[in-house]
Amino acid sequence: MKANELTMEIKELNLTYLMLAQQMVRADKDMAIFRLGISKDIAEILAVLTPGQILKLANSNMMLCRIRFDDNLVLGMLANYGKEKTMMQSHAAILLAGQPVEEIS
Amino acid sequence: MAKKSVVSEAKEIQTAIEMIDLGARLQLLESETSLSRERLIKLYKELKGVSPPKGMLPFSADWFLTWQPNIHSSVFADIYHYLLTHADCRGIAAIIKSYKLYLEHCQMSEMEPVLSLTRAWTLVRFFEGRILQTASCTQCGGHFVVHTHDLYSRYVCGLCHTPSRAGKTNKSRVAALTSIAATSPAAPIAS
Repeated sequence: MKANELTMEIKELNLTYLMLAQQMVRADKDMAIFRLGISKDIAEILAVLTPGQILKLANSNMMLCRIRFDDNLVLGMLANYGKEKTMMQSHAAILLAGQPVEEIS
Repeated sequence: MAKKSVVSEAKEIQTAIEMIDLGARLQLLESETSLSRERLIKLYKELKGVSPPKGMLPFSADWFLTWQPNIHSSVFADIYHYLLTHADCRGIAAIIKSYKLYLEHCQMSEMEPVLSLTRAWTLVRFFEGRILQTASCTQCGGHFVVHTHDLYSRYVCGLCHTPSRAGKTNKSRVAALTSIAATSPAAPIAS
């Protein structure tokens, strides 16, 4: 993949992510805070972004969303499709819900 | 007594409808809304087509500690605590939202929702009454529902250390047997 193809993909993903996140926050803020794993402040900012601002934010060579399973264990659990697949997912959900949110520092 | 507001009553009916759709029992509706019992029964009949079930609510705190219910209630409890710490909702609104998220989780991972809304509400009341609380597992760090006065300094959850007969309920055994019967047609009987 060439460098400019890569940046195009990142830009597209950023745009999709921001638009979906905004839609989620506007539909139900509390549930969006849980689903996205973000703090209340970030959710409030997302809700009031204008389309122009979203476009400007998305136009970057850096990804705007982040992987949430930095813990080795969560990664292992999501990847490990053993005998008890459903319980693995529950375990992952319990661990994800216990993780700190993404906050404005 | 303050005059009853029509708008707030409409909101309460809306919440009651939502709760009935999620499977709430009458006692829950009575304690979380200020609508009269007669109106709630009427509403219940209109939505479900049958009279609300009578009898006591499940009241055992030990139910939440058996293996499968413990996993399910821990998923719910963790979502609920997440919403309380990071979002604005409180009380019954938080319970309804976390219960919806829990149902979604069950749907995504294709499992039967073991926890009912009434049980979820009971669980929250047990937390408030300090009968149950959550403790973190020393192996995975996840939070699980436990008795308040138990020793949990070296607590290991039911998922890191699965008991030998965990999840082997009668229902799952029947399902397994029927799937075996479907894949191997009558081979053992012939011998």
